[in-house]
Amino acid sequence: MVDDHPMWREGVARDLAEAGYEIVATTGEGRQALRIAAAVRPELVVLDLQLPDLPGVEVARGLGASEHPPRVLVLSASGEQDDVLEAVKAGASGYLVKSASREEFLDAVKRTADGDAVFTPGLAGLVLGEYRRLAARPATTPEDDGPRLTDRETEVLRLVAKGLSYRQIAERLVLSHRTVQNHVQNTLSKLQLHNRVELVRYAIEKGLADLDG
Amino acid sequence: MGIEGPFWRAIAVFRIASVVYAAVLLLRAGGYAHPVTGWIVIGVMAFWTGIATLAYAQPGVRGWPLLVLDLLTAVGCLLATPYVQGSLATPGTMPITATWVAAPVLAWGVHKGRRAGAVSAALVSAADLWLRAPGFDLATVPVNGAVLLFMAGVVIGHVAQLAKQAEARMQRAVEIEAAGRERERLARGIHDSVLQVLALVQRRGAEIGGEAAELGRLAGEQEAVLRELVRSGPRPERAPRRRLIPARRPASAAPQDLADLSDALRRYGSARVTVATPAEPVTLPRRTVEELVAAVGNALDNVRRHCGPRARAWILVEDAGERAIVTVRDDGPGIPEGRLAEAAAEGRLGVSQSIQGRIADLGGTVSILSSPDGTEIEMSVPSGLS
Repeated sequence: MVDDHPMWREGVARDLAEAGYEIVATTGEGRQALRIAAAVRPELVVLDLQLPDLPGVEVARGLGASEHPPRVLVLSASGEQDDVLEAVKAGASGYLVKSASREEFLDAVKRTADGDAVFTPGLAGLVLGEYRRLAARPATTPEDDGPRLTDRETEVLRLVAKGLSYRQIAERLVLSHRTVQNHVQNTLSKLQLHNRVELVRYAIEKGLADLDG
Repeated sequence: MGIEGPFWRAIAVFRIASVVYAAVLLLRAGGYAHPVTGWIVIGVMAFWTGIATLAYAQPGVRGWPLLVLDLLTAVGCLLATPYVQGSLATPGTMPITATWVAAPVLAWGVHKGRRAGAVSAALVSAADLWLRAPGFDLATVPVNGAVLLFMAGVVIGHVAQLAKQAEARMQRAVEIEAAGRERERLARGIHDSVLQVLALVQRRGAEIGGEAAELGRLAGEQEAVLRELVRSGPRPERAPRRRLIPARRPASAAPQDLADLSDALRRYGSARVTVATPAEPVTLPRRTVEELVAAVGNALDNVRRHCGPRARAWILVEDAGERAIVTVRDDGPGIPEGRLAEAAAEGRLGVSQSIQGRIADLGGTVSILSSPDGTEIEMSVPSGLS
């Protein structure tokens, strides 16, 4: 549980403990969070994006790059758009605003722990926008024109962004709840994969440039 | 170094060029009457040029002692002219120092302003005129030199003052901007803490129930308002580089007046209305944005009227390249089939009609989808960017 606000940390930790989760560590600092995570290997990290020492996005990135990457549920008070998108691209698989109710929160934790993506309508809008941005920009290389959504995925993501629950989406599109879940999950996985590929490509380009120079 | 630096470098170049010019004049005149004295004076000038160039480059050394010494050296060299040129000097001949005497005048002007420039020009001109005093006659004495000296001292002094004022103002603007950024940074931290507390109150209030639930609901509303404020506030790290001093021209004078649709629609965000947008701004002509914002406002009014104040609504903004799509969905009971057509047949302009009117004016389309999940109004308009 990473949150610099003691009141929140305790409240959320209590909620989680009551729901039967084991809290292995709580901290209010990003760097410490990365150190602790490496030592205790949590299955799930609940991460506030606004931390005093390190941007939450960096913590998400660090957690994603660790040997045993935990699942990350981002919990943010201010809903900073870009930060949320960056955190999700860096590997966080869920996002919730802090004003969500306890039931919503516990449900989100459960789904994140199960490996499902937890989307708010706001996050779905951001992810949709990101795919459109990637599709609209000039291709960096001919063989890779960035990740694309299938029509069905776009449809599902738009419905999420319009505030429909997975159950409602499943009914409307005549799909199983699980299938809707998978579609949402795919939109996120593709984006994260693309992000990792881009990072590697960037690293290689940098490395080659250094060798040349 | 500051803004004075370039002036001092320019004066140093002027001094060096003037010394060379004076030396060339001395050579061409065959050394005048007393070549040895002449070359000694040129040597003094060259030596002082070196000293002055080094001294004026140090901000700490610049000051009255240096300025006075500079002026005295120049006047001294100027007054040595009769000992070099002797009686051979004909009226109108350049003194041995040639243009070099203008250097201290420029220095006074740059460092102390146009009045000091004028005073030093007067002193040098007085020495120059005194040299020619024996045959003093306004018709033969070239007043040109004095006038040029005055102009140089005053104009350079004026320009240097203006430059220094501009630099001071720039400095102030930079400081103000830095202070503003710092305040913004502090405010972000404070806002975040307040948001946390509000969110906590909302959450715990709802759990406790009763009057606490009402408090929680109020906290939740304020939380949504503050969150919106924080989000739509200036974000220097993403915003394009702002000018330090804002342009005088209002933004509406731009060739095409644009606005960010997402930003404009986020103001509708509240505890009951969720706004989903792309991270990048959705830039459209301002009029299109205003019409869309009004249409969304109509749609939200409609939601409140037909589904009650507790109904929730979602706004989705999408940028599809040539088109911008805004969808407003509510979780009300939906519109009974045929209700829209019925209202139109009765000649009543329902809210949905006024939405359709606005969007049609923009060359866009509206589709209304009603289901048990609620009503969806999708507005699609051409982005109209040239």
